[in-house]
Parts: sequence; C-alpha cells; structure tokens
Amino acid sequence: MRRSLIIFTAVTKNWMRSRSGIFFSIMFPVMLLLVFGAIFGGVGGPSTYGLFVQNLDRTADGTPTELSDGFVEALNSTNTFDIRNVPVDADATSYARDSLGPLGGNIRILIIPDGFQDDLLNGTLKVRVGISYVTLLTMYEFFERYLSEAERMAIQQGLAQMGQYNASIPDRDTSLTLILDASDQSSAIVKGIVMNIASAFNYHLVGARAVINFTEESIAVRQFRTVDFYVPGIIAAFIMSNGIIGVTTNTTEFKRRGIIKRLSITPLSKIEWILGNVLSQTLLNLMLTAIMIVIGWLLFNVQAIPDVYSLLLIFLGSLMFSGIGMVLSGLVKDVEAASAIGNAIAFPMMFLSGTYFPLEFMPEFLQSFARVLPLTYFSDGLRYAMIYKYSEGIFTNMAIISVLAVAFIILGSVVTRWKEK
Amino acid sequence: MAKTVVEVDSLVKIYGSLRAVDDISFELHEGEVFAFLGPNGAGKTTAVEILECIRPLTSGSARVFGYDVTKGEDAKEIKKRIGVLPQDFSALDKLSVKENIDLIGRMYERKLDTLEVIKLLDLEDKTKERFENLSGGLKQRVGVAAALVNDPQLVFLDEPTTGLDPKARREVWQVIENLKKLGKTVFLTSHYMEEAQVLADRIAIINKGKIAVIGSPQDLISRYGGLKTLVIRKGGKKLARTLQDRYGGTSLNEDEDVFVKVDDVKEMWQALSTVTDISMLTDVYIGREIEIQTPTIEGVFLRVVGGKITEEGELK
Repeated sequence: MRRSLIIFTAVTKNWMRSRSGIFFSIMFPVMLLLVFGAIFGGVGGPSTYGLFVQNLDRTADGTPTELSDGFVEALNSTNTFDIRNVPVDADATSYARDSLGPLGGNIRILIIPDGFQDDLLNGTLKVRVGISYVTLLTMYEFFERYLSEAERMAIQQGLAQMGQYNASIPDRDTSLTLILDASDQSSAIVKGIVMNIASAFNYHLVGARAVINFTEESIAVRQFRTVDFYVPGIIAAFIMSNGIIGVTTNTTEFKRRGIIKRLSITPLSKIEWILGNVLSQTLLNLMLTAIMIVIGWLLFNVQAIPDVYSLLLIFLGSLMFSGIGMVLSGLVKDVEAASAIGNAIAFPMMFLSGTYFPLEFMPEFLQSFARVLPLTYFSDGLRYAMIYKYSEGIFTNMAIISVLAVAFIILGSVVTRWKEK
Repeated sequence: MAKTVVEVDSLVKIYGSLRAVDDISFELHEGEVFAFLGPNGAGKTTAVEILECIRPLTSGSARVFGYDVTKGEDAKEIKKRIGVLPQDFSALDKLSVKENIDLIGRMYERKLDTLEVIKLLDLEDKTKERFENLSGGLKQRVGVAAALVNDPQLVFLDEPTTGLDPKARREVWQVIENLKKLGKTVFLTSHYMEEAQVLADRIAIINKGKIAVIGSPQDLISRYGGLKTLVIRKGGKKLARTLQDRYGGTSLNEDEDVFVKVDDVKEMWQALSTVTDISMLTDVYIGREIEIQTPTIEGVFLRVVGGKITEEGELK
C-alpha cells in the first residue's frame, strides 16, 4: 500500500503538471458543461427562433386585417419567435435569403394568405352554425316525446331552415403556408408551435375550450432543469474517457519509454502499480466532479449535488474504466494505436449510452447495443444518485458496475506485462 | 579471491527459432567492472534482463548474490540488492530530477539520502529541473543516480552512453569510474569498443548470443590483438614501396600514411632503423611524424568476430 501511494503521488503530480492532461481531463469537460449550460441553463434569457412572416391579408388601405394581425400578435406573445415582416410584394423566400445575408441561417417563413380573415370568419360561422344545428337537433330528439305535434312541426321547420342556411355558407377554410428548411433541426419545434397557436386561435374563434388538460409532475425530488440532467451525464462521459483514453495512452507511453520496466526492476509489484494508478484516476475524477458541480452551481445554479452513493459510483466507475484502459494498453504496443483505439471506443460509447440524449431517441438495435455498454450503467447510476435519488436504480447500476470493475481490473492485471517475454 | 556476485552457467534464451542467448557461462566478482561488448542484437540486454529478474530464461542457471533468478522469493532479494540503468532510460517528464530519483528510491525499504546521490552525480544545480528539460547526458546521469539510490551492491548499466555526444559520453564514463572507486560491482553492456576498454576490468565479447572471448582488456589484446603498428604519417607511396621491399608487412592508407606491422620491440627497432637508413641513404621523403600504435579491443573484436561495430551498434 505504501508503494501504491508513492506511485499515486508521482503519477498524479506528473498529470497535474501536464497542460494537455489538464485540458483533456478537466478543461474540455468544463467547456462542454458551459456549452450545455448556455443552451439548457437559461443563461442570457430564453432563446428565440427567427421567423419571417408575410401577411398578404390586407384591408383596402393596405393595413393588415384585424384577424391576421391578431394571429401574428399571438405568435409574438409566445416570446419564442423573432418575427421579421416580409413586404407584401416581395418573393418571401428570396427576401428571407437576402435578409439573412452571406452567412446565411435557417429560413423559416410563414405566409398568411390573402382572404385569411374572410375565410376564417366564414369558416368560423359555418362551424358555429353547424355546432348549433347539431346541438338543437340532439336536444329536439331528446325532448321530442314531451312536445305537442304543433311544437314538433315548428321546431322541425326551424331546424330545416337552419340546415339550409348552414349549407348555403360556402365551404371555405383558410390555409397558412409554412416554408421550412428540411435540414433545420428546429423546424419541428417551429412547426409545432405555429400549429398550436393556430389550434388555439381556432378554439377561441369558435368559442370552444380544450377539455383535456395536463397536470405535469416531476419524479425528481427537487426542481431540476435540463442542465441539471446533463451534469451527471457529462461527468460520467469524461470519467469514461479519462479511463479509456487517458489510462490507455499514458500507460502505453510509460511502457514505450521503459518507465514501467524501470519500476518493475524495483521491489514494486504489479498490483501496487495498478492500485496507484487507479487511485490517481479516482482523485482526478473526483476533482473533475467537484469542478463541474462548482462551476455548474455558480454559473447555472445547478442543483445536482453528489451524495455518498455518487462518490462510491465515481470510485467504482474510475476502477472500471481504468481497468478497461489497462486492458487496452496491455494489448497495444504504440501510443498512436492506443490513442486511436481509445478514441474509437470512447467516442461512440459517449453518444450511444444515453449520456447526452435519451436512449429512446435511438433505433431499437442501437438501444440494445447501448445496454451492453458500461457507460450506460454508469451514467444511469450517477443520474439516479444525483438527480432522482432512486435507490433501486442506484443499487442495480452500482452492482453491475462493481462486477464490471472487478472483471476489468482482473483482466487488466493479467494483460499488464510486469516481466518481459 | 573476491566474492562471486553473479554466476551464470549454460544460460539459454530462445524466442521461437532465435537463440537470443546461446549457452553462455561467466562469473562476476565483487568490486569489478565487467562489460558485455557486442553489436545490437547480440543478446547483451536479454542476458542482463534475465539477471535483473525481469525476463525468464529458457534453460541453464543464473544466480545473483547466490539467489536463483527464476524463483519469485529469490527475485525479491535480488531486486533489493541491485541498481539498474536500463537501455534508453526514461523517467516521468513532469517530475523534477529529485522527485524522479526519490520515486525509485522510495520503492526500497532502505535508501540513500536523495540529495547525497544527486551530489555524487554532480546534479546539484539540476535538482529542481524537470526531467523533460534535461539534455541526453544529464538524463543518463539521473538514470545512474536512480540506479544508486538504493545503495546497491551490484549496478547494471545497459548501454549507458548510447546516443550521447562525445562530451556527455565522457561525463558518464567519469561517473562509472567513480562507481568503481566506491567499490561497486558494475555490469556494463556496450557496443563502444573504447568504452569497454577504458572502463572494464574484464570484457566478454558477445555475438549472436554466444560469448566469443572473455578476459581483461590487456589479456584479450595480447591474445587476440595482433601486432603493434609503426605509423609514419604522410610517408607516401615511395616510402611504403621501399619499406615493403626492404622489410615487408607494409601498407598505405588514403591519407598516404604508411603502416608497418611489428611483432615485438626488436622488430620495431629494426623497422625504425630501416626507416632511418632510407632517410639517410636515399632521397625518399620519410614523412612528418612517426608513432607506434598498440593493438586495441577493436582489433580484438575484428579478429574474434570478423567485423566492426558501427556507431549505431550494427555489425559491419
């Protein structure tokens, strides 16, 4: 144990004095947190989507009709859009492209057609009359047996006239045109919001209200935002990459330069060497966690605070990924190959383990694949421990990680060569 | 009779079809500097690493301080008593000289004061310097310091000057001479003839895994070094031809230096008097200076192995 601590101190010092080591182990994840935090942490106010609106529905004096203007106002009131008006006589697409300038941007155009107000009123009237007719007919059928013959005749006559009137109203609906770029990742969001507003507009005009409503409850014990959910994911991903890329390249480099061979000639044993390295990785990962939490808390008011289970998971995760790193470094000879293999394993794992987006977003075969990736369990475990406080989830993932950690450390010890051939 | 520190008997190491070490036997005695001299791939490092207990042997036996290198518990005892400068020594780049020497020293139960070792290797002004900032020669000195920090009885120095410039090489030689003065037993491997000749008490010339000859430099030179050579600098073709006619055993190099092989002192005087006669009785120019070259280990190697070792360590 004494020698392990000496190795731990030396390897940690060596790492802490390496600018590239610090950058890839600490600064890079922090930068990623800043990016995610800026996107999902509410910094700088809510983000808006640019939307060009061409309102072709005008009165005789050229001003927008009341309803078309109201619709644009409704879009504006969501605070989701940065609306830019397109002149009536312009080609909307060309105008939008010119307005965005040489650097471009996402083209999103809503065209409100000429006659929008008339069609809307007409359609509204038809819907209202239609609803009234059906309502009265239903009531008549219900109360028919209580009515006299004369009353029945009078109502039937009235209903027939109402039906005729409804049929005489032209069947004209209005249709908005939404021009979106298929490559625009936000197009689905923009489309959804515009459709929601159109529906609300429809409801309002016909005097209806939604009868199915939602009450939203979070299963998290505290109030969290999206950025809180990313923090455990980013921590998990970089503990993984520190192990798989960092340990693999460092150990291969130590091996190539004969540092491991030099140490093997002393009374230091292989297990003491491995333990020293794992302890160093654990410290590095705890530092990473602490820095991420502090920065997240200071800048984005992140609430995900690690508890004793999180710390235990971080230790087990460090053990597991260091073990994988040792297995890889035992199998490759040169640093370039170690780095390439480490990256080839770490990066797909980072994106396929539900770290940055839910597994449900992925095709089924990828979801099945994610279930065999160690990062999936580590990331889930950390999220359960830091966010949901869900004991069963914590212990299940912890058990899986423990088994994998032991297996990889044993395998790593076997393939780490302490004696030449 | 000095105590035997290393005993190797019929040692063999085989990799597939290659016999890297092929039935070698030798002993190393307390306080001596023993050198393995041979080209790259001769089996020097393989043999040394077997003695350092980091490489298994195929057959034969090897004992260090009486401990068997193949036994786990014995290996622990051996490791406590040896210091090693491996070939291409390297250390943790971001650690200082002192921290790196300390790292190795603290692996042992018993160690010397790191600063004393630093002083011994004349590294005092580099104590806090990071390893990555040192020159090749200084790095080797750190390697030697790390090899001495556990106060070993036997020090292995595997190719300690390979890749160093002549100045750095001389500095390392000085360090090895100091080790000898301190009474350490040193096992040196090298492909530099001069290094082995200057530093070693005994040399084993090794090639293709086999020890060709073994003995003190003087012994090897007298046995295999061949004749002394009388060299007449810038003597020219005319002198060479005249000497060849009158005396024999004469050759000429590209620089017009004339070489005359002489077997002993008597022959040397005969050759010299011939040169004097030529000078006095003829108009042949007899050159600018005359010197006597004694045979070296290089000559021994040439005769025994049948080739020369290049600066890079290849056999030519």
